[in-house]
Amino acid sequence: MRLLFILSSLLIYFISSAQAQYQTSLLDAALTKNANAVVRFDELHVSLNSKNSMSIQRSRVVTVLNESGNKYAMPYVGYDNGRKVKDISLIIYDKEGKVVDKFRKKDFKDASAVDGSTLYSDSRVKYYPYMPIDYPYSMELVYELSTSNTGEIPAVWPLLEDFMISTEKSRLVIEYASPQLKPIIKEKNFDGIDFKNLSTDTSLVYLAENIAAFKNESYSPSFGKIAPQLLIRPVNFHYEGYDATINDWNDLGIWMHKNLLSKRDELPVGTKEIVKNLVKNETDDLEKAKIVYKYVQENTRYISVQVGIGGIQPISAIEVDRVKYGDCKGLSNYTKALLKAVGVDAYYVHVEAGSDKIGFEEDFPNLAQGNHVILAIPYQGKYFWIDCTSQIHPFGFIGDFTDDRTVFVIKPDGGELVKTTSYLNNENYQKSKANCDLDSDGGITGEIIIQSKGIQYDNKFGIETQSDDTIKKYYKNYWGTINNLDIETYQFSNEMETVEFIEDVQINARKYASKNGERILFAPNIFNRLKNVPPRYQNRKLPFEIQRGFLDEDEYFIAIPQGYVLESIPEPIDIQNQFGSYRISIEEFDGKVKLTRKLAINQGHYPKENYKEYRSFLKQITKYDASKVVLKSNI
Amino acid sequence: MINLKINLLALLLMCSTFYGQDYEFGEVSVEELKENKYPLDEDADAAVLFRYQNTYYLSGNLVTEIRERIKIYSKEGFQHATEYINLFDGRSSEETVGRIKAITYNLDNNKIVTSELDKEQIFKSQLSYNYKQVKFTMPNVKEGSVVEFSYKITSPFIWNLDDFRFQRDIPVKEIEAEIRTPKGFNFKKTHRGYFAFRPTIETKRDARMGMDMVVNTYKLSNIPALKDEPLVDNMNNYRAGVMFELVSIDIPGVLTKSYSHSWEDVAKNIGSSTDYKKELDKTKSFDDDLDILIAGESDKLKKAKILFKHVKERTEWNGVDGKYFQHGLKKTLKEKKGNAADINLLLVAMLRYAGINANPIVLSTKDNSIPFFPTLERLNYVIAHAKIDDKDYYMDATDEFSNINVLPIKDYNWGGLLIDNNNKVWKHIYSIKPQKALNRYSLKANLTADGSMSGKYMARYTNHSAYVFRNKAKDKDDETQITNRESTFSGVEIDEYLVKNIDTHEGPVVESFDYEFEEGVDIIGDKMYLTPTLFLKTDENPFKLEKREFPVDFGFPVIDKYRFEISIPEGYVVESLPKPIAMALPEELGKFKYVIDNKNGKITLSITFDLNKAIVSSLHYGALKEYFNQIITKETEQVVLSKNTDGTANSTGKGR
Repeated sequence: MRLLFILSSLLIYFISSAQAQYQTSLLDAALTKNANAVVRFDELHVSLNSKNSMSIQRSRVVTVLNESGNKYAMPYVGYDNGRKVKDISLIIYDKEGKVVDKFRKKDFKDASAVDGSTLYSDSRVKYYPYMPIDYPYSMELVYELSTSNTGEIPAVWPLLEDFMISTEKSRLVIEYASPQLKPIIKEKNFDGIDFKNLSTDTSLVYLAENIAAFKNESYSPSFGKIAPQLLIRPVNFHYEGYDATINDWNDLGIWMHKNLLSKRDELPVGTKEIVKNLVKNETDDLEKAKIVYKYVQENTRYISVQVGIGGIQPISAIEVDRVKYGDCKGLSNYTKALLKAVGVDAYYVHVEAGSDKIGFEEDFPNLAQGNHVILAIPYQGKYFWIDCTSQIHPFGFIGDFTDDRTVFVIKPDGGELVKTTSYLNNENYQKSKANCDLDSDGGITGEIIIQSKGIQYDNKFGIETQSDDTIKKYYKNYWGTINNLDIETYQFSNEMETVEFIEDVQINARKYASKNGERILFAPNIFNRLKNVPPRYQNRKLPFEIQRGFLDEDEYFIAIPQGYVLESIPEPIDIQNQFGSYRISIEEFDGKVKLTRKLAINQGHYPKENYKEYRSFLKQITKYDASKVVLKSNI
Repeated sequence: MINLKINLLALLLMCSTFYGQDYEFGEVSVEELKENKYPLDEDADAAVLFRYQNTYYLSGNLVTEIRERIKIYSKEGFQHATEYINLFDGRSSEETVGRIKAITYNLDNNKIVTSELDKEQIFKSQLSYNYKQVKFTMPNVKEGSVVEFSYKITSPFIWNLDDFRFQRDIPVKEIEAEIRTPKGFNFKKTHRGYFAFRPTIETKRDARMGMDMVVNTYKLSNIPALKDEPLVDNMNNYRAGVMFELVSIDIPGVLTKSYSHSWEDVAKNIGSSTDYKKELDKTKSFDDDLDILIAGESDKLKKAKILFKHVKERTEWNGVDGKYFQHGLKKTLKEKKGNAADINLLLVAMLRYAGINANPIVLSTKDNSIPFFPTLERLNYVIAHAKIDDKDYYMDATDEFSNINVLPIKDYNWGGLLIDNNNKVWKHIYSIKPQKALNRYSLKANLTADGSMSGKYMARYTNHSAYVFRNKAKDKDDETQITNRESTFSGVEIDEYLVKNIDTHEGPVVESFDYEFEEGVDIIGDKMYLTPTLFLKTDENPFKLEKREFPVDFGFPVIDKYRFEISIPEGYVVESLPKPIAMALPEELGKFKYVIDNKNGKITLSITFDLNKAIVSSLHYGALKEYFNQIITKETEQVVLSKNTDGTANSTGKGR
């Protein structure tokens, strides 16, 4: 074993010296196109020496082409109590490929790797604060880590790291001391990738070359969904004192529950009594769950503290009960414990949260997927999902943070992948009704009532608790096309039971309409104008997606000033296509101008060829949304 | 100041016996817990009910005791239940915090329930090389909770008295701040903010030490929250508080010493430092390189330009401010990087080497706030100044696109201190102001009968407008730049995009492109309504709030001159044009002019937007807001075109 280790180190050394010519002018133009940086050579060498000994060697050379590429230089490595940095070094090359600086482990700085929302974490980072003098330059980072947690084998080996960075050469080597330690590898988005699989009986080896950079484009799928990558998962491993054998999601569920979750849900007798008392008049489990969720929302808050195996195991319910705060794991586990105390089942759920819908890989059970925890409450054959870190969301409504994606539900007797609730198309509904008066100076006053559901509810209901200033700023921004806008009053009604948000706003705006001699011109679509058309691309490369879709309906009545008559109104418009439909009509009704508008945008995935058509659809809408009517003085 | 012997103070042992009369720790009332809105600001998510702080010297250290009681009104206020204590870590000695005590109070059936912070929930981390941070968050926080904490910071850096900050982002009901300094140690106190307060001052005998102490006590109540607004140079300039600086020591028979008093004193003080006195003249390493560079050039301004460019190209700013060297001239040249002083003093030295009368100017940048009184500590930056043919040239070589007399905008804060040791001139120069940017826009448009337009956009930007443009366009290929411009100019499709002179720091930037634009016209019946400002109209008033307490900082003065030439389609005549208008802001702050004409089927519009000053006082805020409103209204006014049906005009169009 030791001999093999030395050999492989030598091999790395050999490769890196052979590659020492990092002359920028030799770079292939295909690699510098759309790129701020080029990964010249990246090798991850994992040695699985036994179930509880793993070493990781990384050697990465990147050429940074300009200032925007600096974020890809990444002269750092993260570590923690279970993962030690054995060695780290850095070499800087100028654009001719000449060595200009060398740094060793003692030159690196050490800092806590805590983000703003975390109170404490024992994650740390070793970094070198390199300040580039000239572009392009190259940087070679070599480090070695060791850990007993073989469960922490890197879960993804990306062949492209991000938009706007290309890869010249990438190599993955995983050596395993026995067949039981052999991890499973999955190739993802490998179409058109130049790669070789050079695996042997004792190692997995992948080599890929010359992968051009992607450029981020509006509405394109997130990078992770389209980037070529190797997914890696261990089968037999060790993690923080626990051994595991994972063949499917069910195994992982059993393992998680047995080792990391069971016994974390004990509660003090006093707290149990409180919640039992709260639900004493309820017989229905779902109603009980609603009461408990409300109790949690009113009594706890989100604070992240990551200590020990805090990355994956929740703080005990007793501890959360004492301090009344926790992170997603702690608060979910605490709620689960409270529900248990009143006899309601709930399951702990791993999910990849974010407005971008990323689901778990069906055939790839591992601990690395997911970044958030929610709860699933089984009731009459279906699941109700709750996010215990939110103090304001209605029960069972998860919004665009965890909707419509495959998640991992952990039950005492196993685990399973399930899809969460989706909110699509006309479920994301907004209905606006307005009554306004136009005066002869062009000013408007009026009232608008907006009812919102689904994701449109999610986007808005948070303003209810904001300050007067913030609310007024929100409207002035939301209706940015109305100059001189003044918000007179507003009133909100948040219907948690039906998940509906109703805004009732009184506004006025001087000179909304423009006067031209004896005529007054104004756009009757006062409150819901589509303004932003996504950018045009001469040559679009990526497909696009509309993740959720929506439906808006508007009906406005605008009374015209005394002494004026309608001179002309635009023709009604009706457009239907694969992306949705748009209808707008303006008519005279009872001496007023009446606007009726309906816009539906459909959820969907579309090839890049359709983008132009979609964009022109939106462009047409912006045009018709701004249509004006003309009034003429009859005096 | 650093040189002062610390052990003098180390002899002074003092004790603090002061305690506030009200708001004893732990004596939270049911009324406080029941209160559900802050009476003076019903929007407040939380409010400081009481803060007590006491700063004094003890055993050769500077000690600050802090006690604070905060009421949490809403969930948004929970963030105020976490306390962050930043501690300076000087490596050889550091600030420490101790005696942390924290309690949350809640009401349960009219009974007060307390939850105490567990010591294990206090976290300490190394925030950066020079700062440690101690953090804790209060247990059991709910809407309506009152939280209370106290702690004590001990600092060995006894001359660095932190500012007293009375105003916060949430309202403060009562604050009591006390500072005790030994008599004879004279600290200058400068007040900041837009409302008045004053301390009570008394001298107290410390019997044990046999020394008199000067006690300054500030008691303020009902301080409103400081709210963020757009176009502000630095919010902290307007936050109520006090700054302290030691100006002299006067202990009869022991020590009499004076520190900085006037800006001239501060300037002299900097001038007498080794960096400015000796290090700046160590120019041996320049010889060969520089001689070649300026060989044959006799014009001093040209030499200055060459050297400015040379330093910009040769060195890279490491992002660190500084008025003193981090590396020194030699190392900066060798390593090609350094802090602001390394780079700009290198420039001064090179200019002097070339026989130019050049000197450093020390200043405080915008992000460092305004130095309200003569002080050494609050100056954080240095630029270079040259006097050639009696003209002033200011230079900052740290920035890729800055030019001579076009400094990075953060440099225009308060003027600066000229440190001219050779001519023995040390003074505050107020007149370092950005020059006006002159921008010309020329738009030609062909309007067709279907309402679409095509034409050419040509623009030329100078001074800081060019500077800003270059920074934005940096490292962007044409395709990205077109995409960006198309989203700025909504509704426009761009072709033949050309931009000149953006990779250099000198001269104007010229931008041009062909465009197609479909949104400028409404066709209603047989009339066309055309907005002649096309896609360049101002859409939104940046000033939305009714009133404002602080000046508006535009960064730099600017004059924008637009000229539109729109040819109308055959068969149409101009029925009406918007009226020309000219208006002005008070005190010649700015003016706006709109002149429109129609000749031979062509509409010409010229607009001048002239802003004379970078900074507009809050006194004129109302006028400024209304001025923008009127500009926006004017720029959306339309030209009415109607179909020519009688055949008298444009007869050429009829016969087809």
